[in-house]
Amino acid sequence: MFFKLTPTTGQPLYLQLMQQIRHGAETGALHDGDQLPGIRTLAEELVVSPNTVAKAYSELEHEGLLELRQGSGAFVCVKRRTRSLADQVQVARHRIRDLIERLREDGLLDEEIRRAFEAELLYPAEIVTRR
Amino acid sequence: MLWYKAWLETRSRFLTCLATLTLFSGIFVHHAQGLIRPEWKSDFNRLLFVNQQFLVIMWVLSVVLLGMGGIVREKAIGTSSVTLALPVSRARLLRVRFGMGALEAIVLGVVPWLAVFVVASFARKPILITQVASYVLLLVAGGLVYFAMAVLVSSLVSGEYTAPALAFGIVLLAAMLFDAWLRQFNLWRLVTGDFSIDRSTYLLSEHLPWMGILSSLSVAVLMLLASTIVVQRREF
Amino acid sequence: MTNEAVILTQALTKSYGHAEAVRGLSLSVGRNRITAFLGRNGAGKSTTIKMLLGMIRPTAGSGTVLGKQIANTGENREVRQRVAYVAEDKPLYGYMTVEQTIRFFSSFYPDWRRDVERKLLHDYELPLQRKVKMLSKGMRTKLALLLAFARRPDLLILDEPSEGLDPVGIEYLLQVLVALSADGVSIFFSSHQIAEVERVADHVCILEKGRLLVDASLDQLRQFYRRIDLVFPFSPPEGEFRISGVERIQTSGHQMSVFASRNAEAVIERARDLNVVSVEIAPVGLRDIFLETVKEN
Repeated sequence: MFFKLTPTTGQPLYLQLMQQIRHGAETGALHDGDQLPGIRTLAEELVVSPNTVAKAYSELEHEGLLELRQGSGAFVCVKRRTRSLADQVQVARHRIRDLIERLREDGLLDEEIRRAFEAELLYPAEIVTRR
Repeated sequence: MLWYKAWLETRSRFLTCLATLTLFSGIFVHHAQGLIRPEWKSDFNRLLFVNQQFLVIMWVLSVVLLGMGGIVREKAIGTSSVTLALPVSRARLLRVRFGMGALEAIVLGVVPWLAVFVVASFARKPILITQVASYVLLLVAGGLVYFAMAVLVSSLVSGEYTAPALAFGIVLLAAMLFDAWLRQFNLWRLVTGDFSIDRSTYLLSEHLPWMGILSSLSVAVLMLLASTIVVQRREF
Repeated sequence: MTNEAVILTQALTKSYGHAEAVRGLSLSVGRNRITAFLGRNGAGKSTTIKMLLGMIRPTAGSGTVLGKQIANTGENREVRQRVAYVAEDKPLYGYMTVEQTIRFFSSFYPDWRRDVERKLLHDYELPLQRKVKMLSKGMRTKLALLLAFARRPDLLILDEPSEGLDPVGIEYLLQVLVALSADGVSIFFSSHQIAEVERVADHVCILEKGRLLVDASLDQLRQFYRRIDLVFPFSPPEGEFRISGVERIQTSGHQMSVFASRNAEAVIERARDLNVVSVEIAPVGLRDIFLETVKEN
């Protein structure tokens, strides 16, 4: 699996890595039992701090997506929970696709749509509910 | 491997001076027959004495050059951050530099005289090993303080040319001042054998000026200590 | 991962006459982390590093490296056994050959790794018998780095390590740093290459005029620093936005640009209370964080 971490977005690298691993599990790029590279190997490959990889792996282990085995590495465990999460993501993507089509019909350019999404995403959840 | 570094740093200077001093002494003694004048009563011995006069000048110049360098100079060149990052104390760095230079200074005193001994023996001249040994002792034991002074100067001054110029200046000044006011304490005259030479036979006396030699060596040690303190205090 | 500090300073100060090169620096560099030390030229980075290594004595304050006092010459010397340092300009002894250089330096460190030495010699293509003064700048840089990387220090201090390297060399350097970090080496490096720092650093310290202005993990900086661009129906009152976390406000007509190190939500709330017309939030890259931080001072 290929990972791409972008240091310049407002998101910590370990979160980006976690998202990309989760995404892999959701879309089927990573199957149950697949082995991810060791912390050192992945850090060298992506040229990021090993702490970034370690933190991502450790958080995903807490979530249950990864199993860290001493000496052997990190193994993916796609459980039923994750599968239903994958379904939710599929539904969400349909909804987003519809919304984007409607915004395009309204005359917004893709770049404007993207920026609007990014701006809204940077609002922490509490402010959104207060609205 | 600090000794190895000190050797690499002084190697060219040392070998050049060694070659110069040895060749000079050998050739001088071999070819200087023409210098021997009929009125000289002890012609060959006087030649040896003259050789020492020249040798002292060259030897002191050489050891002053050997005393140059060190971490203060390295700061000017830019390598002091490497040397000072090593897990060794500044005192040890100085001791090794001093030790290497002192050994080289000794060799610079012994080898030329050895060459004289060999050349003279082959030419079947009346050369005594005790005389040679005395000349060497006066030169090296008495003169080591010049080396120590050069080390102290190079610990205070970092310029590539100002440090040796200052050291040479001190040698000259000391010789002149002492000769003017404290002639019996003039180290130059001790080292050249001027105080120990019998003017009729031109043989060095058996009673060498031990007090003078010991004092000179003590001052050399004091200068080494002073250099250590200077280098320890300094910021790099 | 233990969090003891490999470098810890308390109000470390260095003055030269009336000029203060380093002022009241209280720095804490964590173990097993990659910490970047940013600052303009003359901000006091090299002075700080030299104090840590015992080359300069502090005027006031104290510090420890790997638990040992920097002002104690004996302790500092012990510490240098376990600290590798590559100075700016990568100085080396010009009169030694590459082989002699390696032999000389390796003799001081029992933890020297011959396998790493051989691998780097091969990868860097360094000619063993050539004198250092005859090497190109790039090769000298690589040799200087090799001398630090072939050891197993607890702490590696680098001053502008990528200077003198081409992009391929820089990439290789970052890979080696990351590998060393994975091996347990704590890394403390100063750099002007913000892009490199953003990729590999865990923690960032920004020094300006001798004072520590930012001391935070890169994750924190990424999560909390924001630039908020607001448009109001009237000329916005800057006073309303002097909330904690706001570092700089720039107004132009009805537009206001707020640079905040945290608390972006509070700024947005205030803006909404004042009937803001448009709100745009954007994350701030490390370069801008650095420039804004040193500009303010």
